[in-house]
Amino acid sequence: MAAQNFKHALFCAIVTLVISYPILGLNLVAQGTQVVLEGADTATLISIVLAAVAVFLFQLFRDHIMGSVGKMPNLNPFANREPMEQSKRQRLDTIVLTLLVIGALIWPFLVSRGSVDLATLVLIYVMLALGLNVVVGLAGLLDLGYVAFYAVGAYTFALLYQYFNISFWLALPIGACLAATFGFLLGFPVLRLRGDYLAIVTLGFGEIIRILLNNMTWLTGGPNGIGGIPDPTLFGMEFGRRVKEEGNTLFHEVFNISYSGNHKIIVLYLITLVLALFTALVIRRFTKMPVGRSWEALREDEIAARSLGLNRTSVKLSAFTIGAFFAGFAGTVFASKQGFISPESFVFLESAIILAIVVLGGMGSQIGVILAAVAVIILPELAREFSEYRMLLFGLAMVLMMIWRPQGLMPMRRIHIELKKQE
Amino acid sequence: MQDLLYFLQQLINGLTIGSAYALIAIGYTMVYGIIGMINFAHGEIYMIGAYTALITITGLASLGVAWLPLILIVALICAVLVSSSMGWAVERVAYRPVRGRHRLIPLISAIGMSIFLQNYVHLAQGSRNIGFPALIQGGFQFGDPDSFQTSISYMQITIFITTLICMTALSLFISRSRIGRACRAVSQDLGMANLLGIDTNRIISATFIIGASLAAVAGLLLGMYYGSVDPLFGFIAGLKAFTAAVLGGIGSIPGAMLGGLILGVSESMTSGYLSGEYKDVVSFGLLILILLFKPTGLLGKPEVEKI
Amino acid sequence: MRTSVKKLAAAVGASVAVMAAGQVAAEIKIGIAGPMTGPVAQYGDMQFSGARMAIEQINANGGVDGEMLEAVEVDDVCDPKQAVTVANRLVNEGVQYVVGHLCSSSTQPASDIYEDEGVLMITPASTSPDITERGYELVFRTIGLDSMQGPVAGQHIASLNPERVAIVHDKQQYGEGIATAVRDTLQAAGVEIAMFEGITAGDKDFSSLITKMKQADVDYVYYGGYHPELGLILRQARQADLDAVFMGPEGVGNKDINTIAGDAAEGLLVTLPPSFDQKEENQALVQAFNDKGEDPSGPFVLTSYTAVQLIADGIAQAGSDDPMEVAAALRANSFNTPIGTVQYDDKGDMRSFEFVVYEWHSDGSKTPVN
Repeated sequence: MAAQNFKHALFCAIVTLVISYPILGLNLVAQGTQVVLEGADTATLISIVLAAVAVFLFQLFRDHIMGSVGKMPNLNPFANREPMEQSKRQRLDTIVLTLLVIGALIWPFLVSRGSVDLATLVLIYVMLALGLNVVVGLAGLLDLGYVAFYAVGAYTFALLYQYFNISFWLALPIGACLAATFGFLLGFPVLRLRGDYLAIVTLGFGEIIRILLNNMTWLTGGPNGIGGIPDPTLFGMEFGRRVKEEGNTLFHEVFNISYSGNHKIIVLYLITLVLALFTALVIRRFTKMPVGRSWEALREDEIAARSLGLNRTSVKLSAFTIGAFFAGFAGTVFASKQGFISPESFVFLESAIILAIVVLGGMGSQIGVILAAVAVIILPELAREFSEYRMLLFGLAMVLMMIWRPQGLMPMRRIHIELKKQE
Repeated sequence: MQDLLYFLQQLINGLTIGSAYALIAIGYTMVYGIIGMINFAHGEIYMIGAYTALITITGLASLGVAWLPLILIVALICAVLVSSSMGWAVERVAYRPVRGRHRLIPLISAIGMSIFLQNYVHLAQGSRNIGFPALIQGGFQFGDPDSFQTSISYMQITIFITTLICMTALSLFISRSRIGRACRAVSQDLGMANLLGIDTNRIISATFIIGASLAAVAGLLLGMYYGSVDPLFGFIAGLKAFTAAVLGGIGSIPGAMLGGLILGVSESMTSGYLSGEYKDVVSFGLLILILLFKPTGLLGKPEVEKI
Repeated sequence: MRTSVKKLAAAVGASVAVMAAGQVAAEIKIGIAGPMTGPVAQYGDMQFSGARMAIEQINANGGVDGEMLEAVEVDDVCDPKQAVTVANRLVNEGVQYVVGHLCSSSTQPASDIYEDEGVLMITPASTSPDITERGYELVFRTIGLDSMQGPVAGQHIASLNPERVAIVHDKQQYGEGIATAVRDTLQAAGVEIAMFEGITAGDKDFSSLITKMKQADVDYVYYGGYHPELGLILRQARQADLDAVFMGPEGVGNKDINTIAGDAAEGLLVTLPPSFDQKEENQALVQAFNDKGEDPSGPFVLTSYTAVQLIADGIAQAGSDDPMEVAAALRANSFNTPIGTVQYDDKGDMRSFEFVVYEWHSDGSKTPVN
C-alpha cells in the first residue's frame, strides 16, 4: 500500500514538473529579430520545485490529510440550533430584506464613486444571472449563448439612440422586447435538442450574433463599437456637466448645487437597483405561477412532464423568452452605464461568467444567485493588487467551487410545509 | 481552367485546415463518448502543445542542432509529453472529483480550467504573438505561370499525411488493441465495464492522454503552418474543433474527422467566394442546420432515451 | 434564509470596504494609458518608456513649479472596452492629465469620458482623424494624422506605377481608417484597386485571402492594421508564392514582425514618423535612454516623452493646473520638444508632422526610401 502510494506520489510529482518547467521555466523572448529561450529567474524555478515537492507529499499522505480535514469541527455556530418556526422566520426575513433595500438606497450617498460604479455593475450581473437562472436553473435548459440577448439589448439602445435619438426609458422596453423576440426565435431550432447539443447550438448562436456585430460595420461600427450612448434622464433633467440634448435641463442647475461626477453615477445606480428589484420580484412571481412550475417539471423529467400534458414547446419557448427579456434590460442599462459598447463585451467568456454565477448561487435559487453575483464581481476587485493573477485565480476558483460545493451557495429551497415534531 | 484551379486551391486550403480541426476534434469526441462531458479546456491543451513545440524548437536551434527531421521529432515528442501530462493532470484535478454529478458541474469546472490555463500561459510567456519558424518551406505549383497557379506547399502535404497516419493509427488502436477494446466498452456502458473488471479510471485517463497527444501534434503542425502563437488562439480553434465534432456526431471518431473536413472546406469556400468576414457565421449556421435535421450529428448514433 | 440574508449583508459590507482611501496629494497625477499586455504591447512599451523617462527627468529638475509628477499607469490592452474601464478608473482616482491612449479605437471612446469629466488628454500614437473632429477642447496629439499618412503611402505606391493594388484592413478604426485614406488617394491617382477587404484581428489563417489576391494578380498590397496579422500574411503569402510588394502604416513597423515573417519581411514598405532619435539635439536624451537599457528608436517613445513635457510646460505657462487653462495655453503657444517645434491648431492637431516611407529589412533595420 505504501509502495503503491509512493509510486503514485512520485508520478504526480514528475507530472507537475513536466507541466510547469517548459512553460514556466523557459521563456520565449524576442531579441531583435530572433526568438530565443531564456531561463526563468530563480524564484520561479524554486517555486516549480516546491510545487512538485508539495504535490509529492500531498499524494503520499493523502489519506491522512483528507481524514483529518473531515474530522475538523464544524465552524458554523448556527449548525446545531433548532430551525426557527415558519411564521417567525418569514417575518424576520421580511424585516431584514426591507432593511437591506433601504440600506441599498441610502448607501451610495455615503461612499466613493468607484464603489457605486462597481455596485451598478454588480446589479447588472444580478439581472443577467436572474434571467439565466430562469433558463438554466429553473427550466434546466443548458444555454451557453445567453450573452447574445444581452448584446441585443445593448445594441438596440445604442442604435436607436444613434439613428432615432430615442432616450433610455423608451429604449428599455424596446430593447427588452427585441431580446425576448430573439429568445423566442432561438427557442425553435433547439426544441428537439437535448443536453449538450442544446449547449453547443446556443453557444453557436451566441457566437453568430457576436460575429455579425463585429462584421456589420456599416450598422454596428464593427470592432470599433458605438459610442456616445447617453445616461438616463429623469423628468427631462440630465446629470452631466453639459447638456447633450436640446431642451433638457441640468440637474445641478435646477437644484443649484455644484456639479459633481457623483450625480450621474448615483442616479444610474438607483435606476439599476429599481430594475434589479423589479426583475427579482417578477421572476419570483413567475416561479409561483403555473408557468414556473412547468419549467421545474421540465427540468426534473421531461418525459413525465409531457405525459402529464405539458406542452414542451410552449414551456421551453416561455423560458427562453422570459430569460432573454431580462437580459435585454441588463443590456440597455449596461450600454448606458459604459457609454460605449463593442462586440468585445459580449464574448463567450461573459456567458461563462453568468453561467458560473448561476451555478455558484445554486440553480433556481434567487438569493443564492444574487450572493454569487456579488461575490464573483466584487472579489476580483478586492484583489486588484494581484491584478495579473486575477483571471488565473478566477478560473481556479471556479474549479474549486465545483469540487467543494457543487450545490451552490444557497441551494434552492422549495416552498414547503413542515410537519410539526411530535413531542 | 483558371476557375477550376482557383476552386482547387481553396479546396486544398480547406482540407488542410480541416485536417487540423479533425485532429483536435478527436480529443473532444473521445472524451464525450466516454464520460459524456464537454472538455472545454481541450483548446488550451492544443495551445500548450504549440507553445511547447516552439520552446523545444527554439531550444534546439540555440544548441546548434540543424538537422530538420531530428528537430521535428524531438519537438513532437516534447509537445506530446507536455500536452498529455497536462491533459492527465486536468482530468485528475478538475474532472474526476465531479464526475457523475449534474452535467453543468463538470462543464463549469472545464470552463474554469480553460480560463486558468489561458492565463497560466499568458503569465508565463507573455501575451504577445510569438513567431514560429517556418521549418518546412516550398511546395509544388501547377498551372500556367502567367495566370493563376495552384500551389500545394510541403507543409500542407505534411499536415494531410500526418493526419492520415494519426487517424489510421488511432482506428487500429481502438479496434485491435486491448486498451482500445476497453475504451469502447467503457464508452458503451461505464457501470458494466467496471463490473467486468476494467479499471475505468485508467481507461478514462488514457482517453484524455490520447486526445491531448493528437492536439499536441496539431499544435506543432499548425504553428508551423500559420506562423505565430499566442495564449488566446487555442480557445477559438477549440471552439471550431468542437463544432466539427458535434457536426460529425459527437462520440464518433470518424464523425470527428468528417466534421473537421466539412468545416474546414466550408470555411475556405466561404472565404474564397463570399467574404472572409462571414466564414465563422457560415460554420455555425451549417452546424445549426445539420442539427435541425439530424439532431445527433452526421454520423452520430441516435440517442435512445430510456424512461 | 436568515444565514443567506446575513451573507448578503456581509457581502455588501465588504464592498463598502472597497472604498478607496481619499487621495490627498500635492502631486500632479499623470495617467499613462496604453497596452501593457496584448498583441500590440510592444508599442505600449514604447509609450510607457518615453513617458516614464519624461516624468523622471522633470522630477529630477524640480518638478513643475515645485510639484512632482506622479505616474498612474493603466493597461487598456488596445481594446475599446478596457479603455473605457480604465478611463473611468483614472477619472475616479482624480487624475486630470492623461498621456494616452495608444490605439485609435481605444482613444476614441476614452476621450469621450475625458472630455466629459474635464481631463486633458494627449495621445502620442493615435492617428485616426476622427479623434479631433468632434470639437473637443481637451484632446491633443503628438503624432500626425492618417489623413496625412495615407496620402504619403498612396502617392508612393502610385509613383511606382502598379498594375493592380489590393487593400486589406483589420476593420478597426485605425486600420480601416488608413486603408480608406490610401484607397482614396490611389483612386484619385487613377490606380486600379483590385480588392478592398477586411479581416478580423486575431485571425491566423489567411490562405483564402492570399489565394484571392493571387487570382486577382495584384502586384502591390496595402495593409491597414498592426504587425501580428501582417506578419502572418507576409509569411503565408511567401509560402503560397504570391509575388507582391507589401506596404503598411506605422502600426507594423516593429521588430516583432521579423520574428513572425522571417525573410518575408524584407522589402516591406512602411510609413513611419521620422527618426527623432537621429536628430542632433536629442543625443543627450538618447544617451539617457541607452543608459537605462531602453531603446529610443521606436516610433512612439519620443512622442510620449513630448506629451508629458507638453503637459508640464502647459501647466507652467498657464500658471495653474486646471486642465481647461492648460489646454488654452497649449493652443496659444509654441513649444520646443524632442520631436521639434510643436504648435497646435484649434482641433488639437499639430500644425505640421511628416511621415517618411521606409523600407524594412529582415534584420529589423529600416532605410528611408526617397
